[in-house]
Amino acid sequence: MLLIRNEGDGKSALSPEQQQKFLNDCMVYIQNLIKDGKLKGAQPLVREGKMISGRPGAFKDGPYNESKEIIVGYYHIIAKDMDEAITIAKGNPEFSYIKGARIEVRPIKTVEESTSFVYPKGE
Amino acid sequence: MLVDHFFRHESGKMVSVLTKIFGSQNVDLAEDVVQDSLIEAMEYWQYHDVPDNPSAWLFRVAKNKALNIIHREKYKRQYSNEAAYLLSSGEQSEPADPFSEREIQDDQLRMIFTCCHPSISADSQVALSLKTLCGFSIPEIARAFLTTETNINKRLVRARQMIRDEKIPFEVPKGKDLELRIQAVLETIYLLFNEAYSATKGNDVIRFELCQEAIRLAQMLENENTIKQKGDIFALLSLMFLNTSRFRARQDQEGNLLTMGEQNRLLWDRKLQASGFEYLQKATENTVTGTYYILAAISANYCLAPDYNSTNWENILTLYDCLVEMDHSPVVLLNRAIVLSKITGAQKGLLELERIKNEPQIRTYHLFHSTQAEFFIELGEFEMAISSLIVAAKWAPLESIRVLLKKKISYCKEKISCDSSF
Repeated sequence: MLLIRNEGDGKSALSPEQQQKFLNDCMVYIQNLIKDGKLKGAQPLVREGKMISGRPGAFKDGPYNESKEIIVGYYHIIAKDMDEAITIAKGNPEFSYIKGARIEVRPIKTVEESTSFVYPKGE
Repeated sequence: MLVDHFFRHESGKMVSVLTKIFGSQNVDLAEDVVQDSLIEAMEYWQYHDVPDNPSAWLFRVAKNKALNIIHREKYKRQYSNEAAYLLSSGEQSEPADPFSEREIQDDQLRMIFTCCHPSISADSQVALSLKTLCGFSIPEIARAFLTTETNINKRLVRARQMIRDEKIPFEVPKGKDLELRIQAVLETIYLLFNEAYSATKGNDVIRFELCQEAIRLAQMLENENTIKQKGDIFALLSLMFLNTSRFRARQDQEGNLLTMGEQNRLLWDRKLQASGFEYLQKATENTVTGTYYILAAISANYCLAPDYNSTNWENILTLYDCLVEMDHSPVVLLNRAIVLSKITGAQKGLLELERIKNEPQIRTYHLFHSTQAEFFIELGEFEMAISSLIVAAKWAPLESIRVLLKKKISYCKEKISCDSSF
């Protein structure tokens, strides 16, 4: 799972010209992933949401993380190992256009190593 | 893949439509909504493929955002009647849907006339047109015109303020008014074009695109049926196409400006040139004789010559004589003097320069002094040439020009020492 993290509103600093270039680069990126059978799904996330904390009977909204960084979307990719996932993440156009962009690469747990339990696929 | 400049041009369309909906006093609001819509599209399309009709998608987003704002700020701002209409029509598309192709085209034309309103200062008109109609960002405009973003921002703020204060309506003027206002619009387009074309430094790619944008704006006027007299529009289009055809040949590898004589004519874009000649023909059929027509004809004469030495200087001089009658500015006279010198020699050229040398705008114009120097060099008067070159270097706006002038000075010094050694 590639979690796209942006600091604040990084994309608003782009000019319409850069927005379009960025988008065209993204199209190439996605289409290459699809062609190689490596993309399972991708979605943007709405920036505003709720943070639930507390405990039953005393829930509250927040606290939010102090940092301005938020997850703005994800790519669910299929990679044979961490190295390949990292290579794919590095190819994401975010890095060329969005200041302070970060991508978190997190393998989805499919096998419990200690017991060899295979988790059911969430589909 | 999206077509070239899709975002820029869609942005221009949407700002125009939303300005009609919000009213011209709220043009900044329209710009904000459009910027938001573009980002939203980008954020969504980044993870999926671009939809089949990206334009419709964008407009739907913009429309919803507009509706939200009108609902939310119903009592805070003054909107045009269009806003109330949009509000009442809701989601259905009505016969006069403000987002139809025809309406979008009309709104862009209204936007041109609003941006180029004579009460707005010229540099603000240019900045506002680029921002709202052409979808350029503030940093891009600043880069193209070699100024700061703060500066461009100030011009935009002043322009919007003027639209509010003067209650400049969002409409295409009618009747007699239209003819007058078209001249004002053409002036702005020509200014935009010239600023982009003649700057010697800055981002070349952007400046070439600005030239194309100026052409695109003029073509919007050309395509408008309610405008009956199109001679000047054709003439300006001809001028812009002919000049743009030489764009890539005007500079050497280091970005130094080359004179017509130094340009590699193989780099001239023949396709653009052909369009220029076509428009010149159309202008001729409309029997225009305005400034743009003469400038286009001069440019055409340069384009027609296979090499610099076979330029038809007599033709060009005749055209300059016509131009001088309409525009007696010293810069025109300076250019005429150069042409005259090609026919009658540098001595005559120098005499012409004598006549304008005390004009205030000429005294500080580096090209006047470097032209004078060229004439002196032709006549072998290198001491005189050097003193002109020193003045030229003093007023040169760019370091690159100063470097060239200094090279010329050392050339003259060499000549002098050569002569004295005999």
